[in-house]
Amino acid sequence: MASLSYEEGAHLLRRAGFGGSPDEIDDLSSRGREGAVDYLINFNQIDNTALQNLLSASFDFSTQGDITNGEIRRWWFTRLVATKRQFEEKMTLFWHNHFATSSSKVQDFFMLNQNLLLRQFSLDRFDNLLLKVSQDAAMLIWLDNITNVLGRPNENFGRELQELFTMGINDVVTGEQNYTEEDVKAVAQAFTGWDYVRRAPFAFQLKANQHDNSVKTIYGQQANFSGEDVITIISARPATARYLTWKLFNFFVYPLTGSAADKSTIDRFSKVYLNNNHSVKELVRAILTSDEFFSERAFFSLVKQPVELVVGAVRMLGGTYNPGTNARGSNTLAQLSRNMGEDLFGPPDVAGWDFNLGWVNTASMLERFNFANTFMSNRNFTNPGVFITNDQLRPITKPSSKKTVKRFLSRLGPLSVGEALGTLRAYLETGDNGQPVTYVNDDPTIDKKIRGLVHQIMCLPEFQLN
Amino acid sequence: MAINRRQFIKRSAGAVSVSLIMPRLWMGGAALGQQAAADPNRRVFVVIQLEGGNDGLNTVVPYTDSRYLTLRPTIGFKDTELKDENGASTILGNDPFGLNPAMGELKSLYDAGRVAIVLGAGYPSPNLSHFFSMDIWQTANLTGAGSGWLGRYADQKLIGKPGLSAVSIGNVLPKTLHADKVVIPNIAPAGGSDPFVNYTFQTDARFAGDKNNQLNTFKSTSTRSFQPNSFIDAIARAGFDAEEGAAQIRAAVGTYTPGATYPTNNQPSATAVSFASALKMVAQLIITIPDANLLYVRLGGFDHHSQEIGTTADNFTDKTKGQHATLLKAFSLGVKTFYDDLAAHNLADNVVIMNWTEFGRRPNENASKGCDHGTQTPLFVIGNPVHGGLYGEQPSLSDLDNAGNMKFKVDFRSMYSTILDKWLGADSQSILGANYPNLGFLG
Repeated sequence: MASLSYEEGAHLLRRAGFGGSPDEIDDLSSRGREGAVDYLINFNQIDNTALQNLLSASFDFSTQGDITNGEIRRWWFTRLVATKRQFEEKMTLFWHNHFATSSSKVQDFFMLNQNLLLRQFSLDRFDNLLLKVSQDAAMLIWLDNITNVLGRPNENFGRELQELFTMGINDVVTGEQNYTEEDVKAVAQAFTGWDYVRRAPFAFQLKANQHDNSVKTIYGQQANFSGEDVITIISARPATARYLTWKLFNFFVYPLTGSAADKSTIDRFSKVYLNNNHSVKELVRAILTSDEFFSERAFFSLVKQPVELVVGAVRMLGGTYNPGTNARGSNTLAQLSRNMGEDLFGPPDVAGWDFNLGWVNTASMLERFNFANTFMSNRNFTNPGVFITNDQLRPITKPSSKKTVKRFLSRLGPLSVGEALGTLRAYLETGDNGQPVTYVNDDPTIDKKIRGLVHQIMCLPEFQLN
Repeated sequence: MAINRRQFIKRSAGAVSVSLIMPRLWMGGAALGQQAAADPNRRVFVVIQLEGGNDGLNTVVPYTDSRYLTLRPTIGFKDTELKDENGASTILGNDPFGLNPAMGELKSLYDAGRVAIVLGAGYPSPNLSHFFSMDIWQTANLTGAGSGWLGRYADQKLIGKPGLSAVSIGNVLPKTLHADKVVIPNIAPAGGSDPFVNYTFQTDARFAGDKNNQLNTFKSTSTRSFQPNSFIDAIARAGFDAEEGAAQIRAAVGTYTPGATYPTNNQPSATAVSFASALKMVAQLIITIPDANLLYVRLGGFDHHSQEIGTTADNFTDKTKGQHATLLKAFSLGVKTFYDDLAAHNLADNVVIMNWTEFGRRPNENASKGCDHGTQTPLFVIGNPVHGGLYGEQPSLSDLDNAGNMKFKVDFRSMYSTILDKWLGADSQSILGANYPNLGFLG
């Protein structure tokens, strides 16, 4: 059983979740590598009563009219910040990006239902998750399958199912083409008539008179394939195993290159999927416990997603997020994340978000810096929103400026920042006129300079990485 | 004169050696903050990306082709339907094409000789994936790999120019503008009366006296030396550029007065207002920053697999309403208002506008009143410097490929090369990697 250092525990919690307090990291590290991953992925065993109580007190989804875009975004960010089951939310976020569906076209009631579905089946057999998502109203609407009917099929779902949800155009290891334009047409035919009932609970239905029962040729096989058949066939293809492995690796571990070594890594982990009945849970477990995951190459190798940035800042520092009781003016975290380019329930298109350098441009960087300022300078502790009090900051400070800077760098990473340590220390010891002042960790200093220090740490290039 | 990265590092206490000094795309000059004086040699290029694959056959309608209505029995336009909302014909003179009825404003620009329509633009072995095809158009490379074609132009032509010369509007930087040697800034519209309001580096309002310390600390930590071409280096550069450029942009655009009335109050649609607002920001930048040379805006939502025409109210039959009409109206009205604004500031002779989209759509409509992914598409090049009229060639609807799509007639890169060579004074061969024929709509 491999042991887990504090840095490794922090890395695991930042990646499999959103980061946490020193106590949470210590607890995770004490479990060892396999034990910590076990604890995270068997999240149903973690008591989450506090979150359930908070959600009950803050949200009313009893009627469809209550389920607005503002409310579902507020709801998800409340979960992200307050849940004890961090991996459950992270995996849901992975699937939301993978099966990227947007409120721009789909009613928020259906968006919420899809989110609940992704959470419920996030670690199931992939075949099952894919079938559930494909037969759920949100996806049927999003990719026009409700208008995919016998005669002149609509190819939207059939194409993206193959290109984005399962295999990719080309095999990520061999480079071979995974399907042809003829396959797109035939797969679209297999899904003709897939629809949902237009009244609660909006269940899936096959409209038999609109379903094409002809013999179809798919990947060289001929039969009267149904949509279910296609999902079974695609889920078993090695190309799908490799594509999902590639996507999970890029999301959780490090950006893969086209190198032979990386291709062999994908191939090796894809066998876990193929040998374990297409279990997402076993594939994820293998990835999170791997030497690759804890390698030097993996640490801080990804650019923080905006959601990771805002949720992580609150969790690591121990600030407060007050979700309020309605969407009005209380959507702070959702809005701040949206400003940085990650609007939950509103991905840019069906391919999801563009990660890493896709998050980096002059507009989004200013939004990141300004989030840091908003978090630190918000002193309205009664209204909904994100803030931190002087009482929450004080225990992290030390009488020495150097130790104080180090404490905060540790809390927000732990981050290793080279010569910037001296620059940050100098900031603490500089007064308004630019002249040196003696640092004392008293209340006026905490309210001014410590807030400024944390703002600066959150502006560091190192803090933008995960 | 703004301090640049090299000067800053030299002036900083405990200066570090920086292996890679990035040139600035902004370096505020004296002219910032005043309306740019008319310079007859000034050449500005504005790109409008239509995201999702615009239906070219319903944008420039080949109404005399009998196959058109056969393939599009419900969404196709008859010749009698080619009239804008005021009843004016949108048929292009004696040519066998008409503009979509939603595009009356663009038709007026066409009639004035300000619009070149390039028919049949595409590329060989068309890829029907949105994302792959976008990459091909953005990189001007059939593998979809590498930097953006206008990023390469910026790397060649915009380095070392004083003042801000390239900007994209939106919250992500399009691949077209991915460059190797410069960081092209992008600005996300804030909504409200000042769309530039969020483009600033904020510090704690309670302690204004600490602002300089905050800024100096930020500049110092973000100008450290990082491994070239690493994520962290890109992050540090984008962050530093953002903070340094923001104040200058804001100072400049504050002097702008619109010369045209842009749409408001969700009229004719929310989409039209937001798209026109983005173009208004572009106008603001062009009018107040003399070096503004390359600008980019996007209009999304063109992936009409279903219900391309009509609304629930008319049971999806009214071709003058619905998804596609709304978007084309937004495009047409936005471009015309933007053009009028430039003209009021005596800049209409200095600006060329081009649109692009990753592909057109399939000629044969599907059963859901939409069209699946297609190939070639007509495109517009707009502005006073343009020789208006029809270019390229309309592919036949009787000669479709195996997927039922039209065959392209003009390599889209000849549009790019024509603009690079004849408008931007660049060397298209080095930017595009090959020579493409000049289409003749400029110069």
